[in-house]
Amino acid sequence: MPKIMIVEDDPKLAGLLRSHLEKYGYEVVSVVKFDEIVEFFLEEQPELVLLDVNLPSYDGFYWCRQIRRVSTCPILFISARSGEMDQVMALENGADDYITKPFHYDVVTAKIRSQLRRAYGEYAPKMEERIIELQGLSLYAERMELHFRHAAVSVTKKEAILLEMLLKRFPRVVSREALLEKLWDDQSFVDENTLNVNVTRVRKKLQELGIEDAIETIRGEGYRIVPTWGEGNRS
Amino acid sequence: MKLFLREHIPLFTIVVIQLIAVILIFWLDGYKHPSVALYALFVGLFIFLCYLVYRFMSHQAFYERLSASFSNLDESNQMYGNAPLAASLGELLKSQYTHYIHRLNEYEEKRDTHATFMNQWVHQMKTPLSVIELTVQQEEDERFVSIREEADKISKGLEMVLYAARLETFEHDFQVEPVSLENIVSQAIRENKRLFIKNHVYPEVSIESDLTVESDEKWLIFILNQLISNAVKYSSGSNEKVSITAFISNGEACLEVRDKGVGIPKSDVKRVFKPFYTGENGRIYRESTGMGLYLVKEVCDRLGHQITMESEVGKGTTVRLTFSAII
Repeated sequence: MPKIMIVEDDPKLAGLLRSHLEKYGYEVVSVVKFDEIVEFFLEEQPELVLLDVNLPSYDGFYWCRQIRRVSTCPILFISARSGEMDQVMALENGADDYITKPFHYDVVTAKIRSQLRRAYGEYAPKMEERIIELQGLSLYAERMELHFRHAAVSVTKKEAILLEMLLKRFPRVVSREALLEKLWDDQSFVDENTLNVNVTRVRKKLQELGIEDAIETIRGEGYRIVPTWGEGNRS
Repeated sequence: MKLFLREHIPLFTIVVIQLIAVILIFWLDGYKHPSVALYALFVGLFIFLCYLVYRFMSHQAFYERLSASFSNLDESNQMYGNAPLAASLGELLKSQYTHYIHRLNEYEEKRDTHATFMNQWVHQMKTPLSVIELTVQQEEDERFVSIREEADKISKGLEMVLYAARLETFEHDFQVEPVSLENIVSQAIRENKRLFIKNHVYPEVSIESDLTVESDEKWLIFILNQLISNAVKYSSGSNEKVSITAFISNGEACLEVRDKGVGIPKSDVKRVFKPFYTGENGRIYRESTGMGLYLVKEVCDRLGHQITMESEVGKGTTVRLTFSAII
């Protein structure tokens, strides 16, 4: 599994990034001594570096140049500065990409993935094939297939996102806002109607697998998945 | 010249009186030769005239300086000839100028320090904000959702402060290049995703494809962010759409952000671009600094884009940007 080195002097931020990336199956090491970054790098030999611009000794640009002398691994800057000048500086000092604070986990993950792909080809961390399973109903998130008792239906991207959230949150309610936020991607804006349509479609897909009434609408709140198919619900 | 003449009227009068007095004394003493008397008067006046000419020549710059006001501060830094009066005026103005410049430099330094401090501070605040964002990002609990919204507001506020500070140094901070309206609008919408969803307002985009204008991308995004967040804020919960359209009219590219929200009272429309002006809506909706549209207007002026607003209470508001150049 790829090893990621985090150079961030704010311990909380480093910790959050670390736990998030570990969830995705990366091995994470954080720098503790900010004057021995290069030594640490050579010792750990990470596949990718996340580098903050503002550091206690020298700045990120300096360390980026130092690391560039010994390695060509992808370097991603994390910075509060959104000015073009800083981005240009970052890229000129040998960084591969740039993330501005405050950021979303999704952005970090996506950028890390694409950098790793570019640098090392299509080897992905072991978590790449995510299977979300609930009482015998499993969603293959990357293949976009829904499996239940030897039967399978394929789902669209939006349906997969909906299902993933509902299954993951079980037994809690997922708010409509949260669903909209996840569904809304760069190309299309999802409004309330589109959400309703997609929920209906997911219900249909579940029916194809012989599952009825699995998605419960809770007025004014959102949706909840109810495992009507599960072992405990045989009537 | 006029000042010079006005200034010498008393002296001229005195000289004439003096000459006449001298001639009169001789006259009364019994020396009665009118032609010689006239000649003496004439010679006296001639000598006086010579003096006036000399005086005028030597003090010309001095009088000019006195009779015209400064058109700029640097003018006070020059010489007005070697005559004692002129030279001392020069010295005086120069010392005044030095004091002024000194004071100005002090303020400029203070302002720069302040701006640098603000800048650094804003950037520093982004780290704790990132921590807050990341901490609550994955949480679904009501309370966390609310914290996330507030964090979003803080983030927006910080951006605004940054951009307001950047306005001061605008000349070094913009780069005009061809900008695709389609890209920029979708980026702005992406950045305001949560705001839309939270307020149950959705965007509706129609842009004549590959419409490209000459502008600065980052400032244009800033403008759009302000316009979109206003549009969303003032049509919140109406379940209406905010439409963002771009089209060509009269050979100029236009970008419109239209909402069907509460609208702005006629009396306020004229003043929305003034700093700190919040108007009726600002009082109702709070949280408005009155700075957003002012900054937008300032940026538009600097980039050479026109901005106009039409609004009708209860019907909605349309803000239109007109770009001078299509590519």
